[in-house]
Amino acid sequence: PALARENNCLNAAKACNLNDTCKKYRSAYISPCTSRVSTAEVCNKRKCHKALRQFFDKVPPKHSYGLLFCSCPLGDQSACSERRRQTIVPACSYEDKEKPNCLELQDTCRSNYICRSRLADFFANCQPEPRSISGCMKENYADCLLSYSGLIGTVMTPNYLRSPKISVSPFCDCSSSGNNKEECDTFTQFFTDNACLRNAIHAFGNGTDRSVWQPLSPV
Amino acid sequence: ERVKVQGRGCLLKEIHLNVTDLGLGYRTKEELIFRYCSGPCHDAETNYDKILNNLTHNKKLDKDTPSRTCCRPIAFDDDLSFLDDNLEYHTLKKHSARKCACV
Repeated sequence: PALARENNCLNAAKACNLNDTCKKYRSAYISPCTSRVSTAEVCNKRKCHKALRQFFDKVPPKHSYGLLFCSCPLGDQSACSERRRQTIVPACSYEDKEKPNCLELQDTCRSNYICRSRLADFFANCQPEPRSISGCMKENYADCLLSYSGLIGTVMTPNYLRSPKISVSPFCDCSSSGNNKEECDTFTQFFTDNACLRNAIHAFGNGTDRSVWQPLSPV
Repeated sequence: ERVKVQGRGCLLKEIHLNVTDLGLGYRTKEELIFRYCSGPCHDAETNYDKILNNLTHNKKLDKDTPSRTCCRPIAFDDDLSFLDDNLEYHTLKKHSARKCACV
């Protein structure tokens, strides 16, 4: 029963900094992700990705998911959703000089064993199924959120798009897909328009998925 | 952990604050736990400190007033990061104590 003006993403940040483990690993990724290393590079992306992976490895989901999957009232104009978009420090971990084609990015991912296995997990655990109540083939939101957060810190690092409803995507698009346009669109829609993933994120944000986690304590 | 006999009055304390309470000029709604060292250090004083005390008292050091034993951090807490109202991240280093001693 949060107040209408409550900023859940801010509350998650506060809770994180009051917890020694979360505070430590949060600043351990924000530092490399915001430190300029040369005039050409805004940060050391490799170090930023590594520290992000460590954050999701070491910090209990109550705190790490609290920051990543916090729920915001309006999709776009609120301080809440901008804060949520900033969780992974997208200027370093997400954006790049050029936006690659998603199928090319997928090839890059497949050439790295961590990325390849994490992408496979994501496709397996967040597979949508319109006939199930959960919207998922495997009716387990926790596994879906775990696989999604596992992509953070790989070349497939996804982030929230500025969209009225929850929509996420890796930093790529389907321009210049040639004959593979359809395949590329299918790939991106698994991120941007995936009811299973969206339901899983909503369920965590609202604290309705009580079967899986100890719910966030009311603030 | 073994408590040192000397300087036992010097303790690590903590207080829950808003980042703005720190007075460092940041505009943010984030919060933190600030830990600091506080307490007397009389029982940890050496001859050096006693001499300084006497010399200051007897005005032998002109206008110098050298510091005596202080309760200070000997280790600092982990860094703290926060997002400000303009969506910029900041990281504070050596801002909070982890371990105290009379030094």
